[in-house]
Amino acid sequence: MIDFDFNTFIKTLETGLRDFNSGLWNPLVWGIAIVIAFLIIYIIRGFGKTGHKEQTEQTKVFLSGNPELEKEKMHVGGSNVYWGFLDSFKWLYKVLDKMHTGNVSDYILWFVVIMGILFIVMGVL
Amino acid sequence: MEIQEIIRITLTIIIGTLGLAVFGIVFGLFYKGIDRKISARMQGRIGPPLVQPFRDVRKLFTKENIVPENAIPWVFHLAPLVGLIGTISILIYLPIGGFQPLAGVYGDLILILYLLIIPSLALVIGGFASGSPYATVGAQREMVTMIAYEFPLAIIIITLAWKISTINAGDPFLITTITTTPIWGVVGPLGFIGAILLLLALIIVTPAELSKIPFDAPEAETEIGGGLLVEYSGRNLGMFYLMDSVKTVVMASIIVTLFFPYNLSNIIGMEAGSYPAYGVDIVFFLIKVLIVIIFSVTLIRVAVARLKIDQIVYTYWVPITLMALVGLICVMWDTKTGLETIAHMLGFS
Repeated sequence: MIDFDFNTFIKTLETGLRDFNSGLWNPLVWGIAIVIAFLIIYIIRGFGKTGHKEQTEQTKVFLSGNPELEKEKMHVGGSNVYWGFLDSFKWLYKVLDKMHTGNVSDYILWFVVIMGILFIVMGVL
Repeated sequence: MEIQEIIRITLTIIIGTLGLAVFGIVFGLFYKGIDRKISARMQGRIGPPLVQPFRDVRKLFTKENIVPENAIPWVFHLAPLVGLIGTISILIYLPIGGFQPLAGVYGDLILILYLLIIPSLALVIGGFASGSPYATVGAQREMVTMIAYEFPLAIIIITLAWKISTINAGDPFLITTITTTPIWGVVGPLGFIGAILLLLALIIVTPAELSKIPFDAPEAETEIGGGLLVEYSGRNLGMFYLMDSVKTVVMASIIVTLFFPYNLSNIIGMEAGSYPAYGVDIVFFLIKVLIVIIFSVTLIRVAVARLKIDQIVYTYWVPITLMALVGLICVMWDTKTGLETIAHMLGFS
């Protein structure tokens, strides 16, 4: 027989408790499922052909027939990630840009206006 | 807990995972075949046979598994494995037909949301590990798409759980609570409109989760030659192909669980827990999944052209988020309960 309380052990591994109503999971159960899934997939993968012709044209990166330049020139920078966000919200950034005048009295005016709106909202509600 | 109980649970999880993995792969490929057939017919083509995806995988497994010279080989090989295993693991938390989730009490909807990130992240890591500019661009786009659709998705999940928590005393994020308290039964007229808006938002989130047109900018075959999959071939590409199939079943099952958790057996008055009832429920579940796939994948990808990555961000952060927020407000302001109220208003009762 096992000489420790399995329930308490399982409970400590859970990141959330039922009382918190969220984030409930049991890593042990997930771990077992992962191991089994890994074994199945590893077996399926084993049916596939292995190996390729190294140091041939097939190991060159695909660039639609364009010549491969030096690695530094081919590098795609991480800042490109933000392009999607920057371009789609250009209209918003333009407005925000104008609001950032660098003038302290403008910022204080914003502060006073927002405080005023908040007080009105709080008073009404 | 007795040792016999631990052994019983472990064996259930092992056998269940085996069954669900086979189920996910076989039906995932089969649904892919149906999706391709329907989209072909919509475009005036005959289309491939339903078993074509099975043949595709078999063919891929006979091809060379090329590793580009710039790649990081171990990460390049590991990414498809991690993606497929992570996707299969989600199935153990979802109810299939009349069966309760295999690990329903060991994980909830929040966990499913986190696990859904694994396949997308595996694609991103595989793309970056390819050492190709096209794959890097694709991986970056996949990251942006993930950030874009998570916001409306979170609103949908939280709204449903919140509404269910006002009616059912159980944990609102538990799948069993959600399936025993279908959203349509706990909302009034305004909440009904809200739930429809949330369902529409989730249907539009699904193609992005699955990298399907119009949200397939990360792959974009005609533009960046397959994006993050450009350097994958042979069995590694086959694994990603299988991952995509299983994830389609997973996403459709999530929609079915959240919005259509009904079983046919109790509607037609069959004895609960009997084998014929399980059979009827499984067939009904497969039909529901198929209908969801047709609406959220096939029809959308045939009808709409690919969006640019900035358009994807805008689509999810403005119209779809607003749609989900309006749905949330409708559900919040909804005070009446039940479809009966709607029927009464329409003069049916």
